[in-house]
Amino acid sequence: MTTLAHIPQLLVYGIISGSIISLGGIGVSLTYSILGFSNFAHGDFMALGAYIALGLFTLFTGLGITNAPFGPLSFGFGFVLAFILAIALTAIAVILIDRLLFRRLRRSGPVILMMSSIGVALGLRNILQFFWSPQPHYYSQAIQPAVSLGVLNIRIKPDELFIIALAVVLVIVVHAFMRYTKMGKAMRAMADNATLAQVTGINTDRVIIWTWVIGAGLAATAGILAGIENKFITPELGWQMLLSIFAGVVLGGIGNPYGAILGGMVIGISEEVSTAFISTGYKPAVAFVIMIIMLLVKPTGLLGRKD
Amino acid sequence: MSLLTVEKVTSGYGDMEVLHEVSIAVDSQEIVTIIGPNGAGKSTLMKTIFGLLKPKSGRISFSDHEISALSADRIVRLGMAYVPQVENVFPSLTVRENLEMGAFIRSDDFSGRIREMYDLFPILGRRGRQQVGKMSGGERQMVAMARALMLNPQLILLDEPSAALAPNLAEVIFERIEAINDTGVAILIVEQNARQSLSLSDRGYVLASGRNRFTDTGENLLANEEIGQLYLGG
Amino acid sequence: MEHLVGILNYIVFFAITAGTYSILSLGLNIQWGNTGLFNIGIAGFYALGAYTSALLCGLPPSAWEGRTFGGFQLPFIVGLLGAAIVSGVVAMLVGAPTLRLRTDYLAIATIGIAETIRLILTNESWLTNGVWGFQQIPSPLYKTIHAATSAYLKGHPNLPVWLHDLISKSYDWFYLVLVLVVLFILYLIMERLVRSPWGRVIRAIREDEDATSMLGKNTFSFKMQALVLGAMIMGIGGSMYAHYARFISPVSFKPLYGTFIVWVMLILGGSGNNKGAILGGFTVWGIWAGTDFLTKYLPFTSTQSASLRVILIAVLLEVILLWRQQGLLPPKKHLFSQK
Ligand SMILES: Nc1ncnc2c1ncn2[C@@H]1O[C@H](COP(=O)(O)OP(=O)(O)OP(=O)(O)O)[C@@H](O)[C@H]1O
Ligand SMILES: [Mg+2]
Repeated sequence: MTTLAHIPQLLVYGIISGSIISLGGIGVSLTYSILGFSNFAHGDFMALGAYIALGLFTLFTGLGITNAPFGPLSFGFGFVLAFILAIALTAIAVILIDRLLFRRLRRSGPVILMMSSIGVALGLRNILQFFWSPQPHYYSQAIQPAVSLGVLNIRIKPDELFIIALAVVLVIVVHAFMRYTKMGKAMRAMADNATLAQVTGINTDRVIIWTWVIGAGLAATAGILAGIENKFITPELGWQMLLSIFAGVVLGGIGNPYGAILGGMVIGISEEVSTAFISTGYKPAVAFVIMIIMLLVKPTGLLGRKD
Repeated sequence: MSLLTVEKVTSGYGDMEVLHEVSIAVDSQEIVTIIGPNGAGKSTLMKTIFGLLKPKSGRISFSDHEISALSADRIVRLGMAYVPQVENVFPSLTVRENLEMGAFIRSDDFSGRIREMYDLFPILGRRGRQQVGKMSGGERQMVAMARALMLNPQLILLDEPSAALAPNLAEVIFERIEAINDTGVAILIVEQNARQSLSLSDRGYVLASGRNRFTDTGENLLANEEIGQLYLGG
Repeated sequence: MEHLVGILNYIVFFAITAGTYSILSLGLNIQWGNTGLFNIGIAGFYALGAYTSALLCGLPPSAWEGRTFGGFQLPFIVGLLGAAIVSGVVAMLVGAPTLRLRTDYLAIATIGIAETIRLILTNESWLTNGVWGFQQIPSPLYKTIHAATSAYLKGHPNLPVWLHDLISKSYDWFYLVLVLVVLFILYLIMERLVRSPWGRVIRAIREDEDATSMLGKNTFSFKMQALVLGAMIMGIGGSMYAHYARFISPVSFKPLYGTFIVWVMLILGGSGNNKGAILGGFTVWGIWAGTDFLTKYLPFTSTQSASLRVILIAVLLEVILLWRQQGLLPPKKHLFSQK
């Protein structure tokens, strides 16, 4: 039986999974505000990234590229290289999907795009399943001991500290990008008003490509981090997190990337802490219930503007 | 050869035609006003000129380019700018960021142009870092105009720049419009209650039910009794 | 001849399943096709219907089962109505917080409810027998028809093999008729509704909600009615499935697959057209079943073949969206749909 003494530890788990949910949520939020539709394929972009990383990592290992662990972490150069390349390849794949489908459907409106994204979701997931089977795959089978933080009996693995640190760094980078670069400002402008952006002379197609680069890149990152945290990946990895991600996005205020970060954290922590009281199986339902409560209380979310 | 020529343009939304063979022209450095009642199709004409709606027939040319089939982002590059009637600023961006967006396609240093805009609209200079969404209607209108001017356009389209502004603020806006015109920019203004606008215009058009009704100099239109009764509120 | 009977029996099985899916597609048509409500939790309402019916009509828990509740052995028709009511009530709960908002919220919430329902079905063993699910759900009139068939076959021992095989499947024939009758009745109701003043309002909402609410219509209430009605039909579909399959478990209702294929059915058939919804149901199920045969000849494992078939349906969806959004049977032009 779980006791209150476990709650600090659960909070830490919550922050870890909240980090991953938040990274996924930023992409959903950007696509929603800039392209104007809810992208239900986002979870599968995460899985795609995780599997591309797996493929590359297997390849690199075969080529004899070293993966001697960095310090206390469970992985080394080979994996990091695969990680980075997987981010780039996922972004490219998603841009291709955009060119092939979403771009052509943009004139048809948000609902058609939403529907198309469901097709993409199922298609991608089954492509992964076709090549890798529905069975779990492992980045590493090694067991990493958790270390004690020395307070409140909290234990955490070095890999998990890496996940949190990377998420923090990426959030800061994305924030700086949106705040200070010309492209970041153009993304915010287009989220405000896409027609005006076009009238102003902003190259909206380039803004869209950058939106996908960031969204898909962060999705791949989130997928790979989920693989590191869970120790395995399956083609359903992203779909299983999608509800939590959307709940976080709605909670924070749909279309607001900062809200997605905050909401993702709240959802991650609530899901983990809830396991002290109810069956672990109900984690996604916890996210769902929080989302519904938010919609009843304030549909624009914690940080949402009204519109 | 006029700077902007609209010849017998028919346009609308989907199957619905709003404009029927409308023709207008704007010469370089001119101020031209289009007036007409609500729903006459004035905004529709602006959107059609600027490539947001495709004309079903007729042609539009701008400084020797046929632009009827061009999209808005191409037209911007030819030296035309457009300030829509509503939602004409990026509310979550600061004043300065709005102006930067206006200069998106410029790769040179445009800080000089921003300073010129701050000289033209001193309020904006003092509020550069303020979020535009939190500004008043008049200030937003200035941001919108400044944004549109960032690329040094030859022609700027203003859709009801003084709508919903207090009379003294409208005064300020029209005074600024003249100042902009003095720098050599041609201006096409749409106005509903348009005495003020016509009085500073070289020429004016009256549009009703999507058709040309009258065309004359600003002065003559103002002097015309029938127009005064029908379109200028007596 | 034996061969032919085999095929015929397969066709019956096929038509029962396609008919059941067509019921779902009809339910989605009232929500999406007519009102523009984006429900991607169809599998949830379908599962609710199936489980409700199983709880009401099924056998009481046996000693080796995890469940401790339900199995009231009520008549089939009670199960069918109960399924509709429970699905409808849950739809109302989902609609209440979302129907005033952009349709994205309904989409997200319906995914959420489908997933939550699946979790409850998996975790609440006392009610659902967990992952093992319900077994031996009674089929309506099964005993009667089975007894009559057996008696007849006993009395006529010298029938040719093919006729014997055909007659021994008499229950399936009966169930096919039952499914088609239910489908037809629902179709007639939907046609009437869509042509009624109520139908004109929901289509107007689909075309332009703001304009409709300015005409003084309470669009929230109309949307809610359409959502609930559609969900009730989906519940009926679930009940029809449960009583034919006689065995249901949470894996029968994997959220996206069940939902996804129904969407493709409706969109291919023609959103907004009830005949299209049914045509789409049979066509897509035909494609789905057909690819089952085809992929057997490919050098892949069965899971790979299954994936390939889903990929194919996904491609089909994208092709329709790109090139024929109105589907096979476009909606008829109605007075209101012209702006
Ligand atoms: N986006 C749109 N879709 C469909 N019809 C539209 C749209 N915008 C305007 N209309 C219709 O086109 C006609 C002309 O509208 P337009 O906005 O051009 O008039 P306007 O002269 O600018 O009027 P106002 O003085 O009120 O701004 C009106 O009947 C209007 O209802
Ligand atoms: Mg107007």
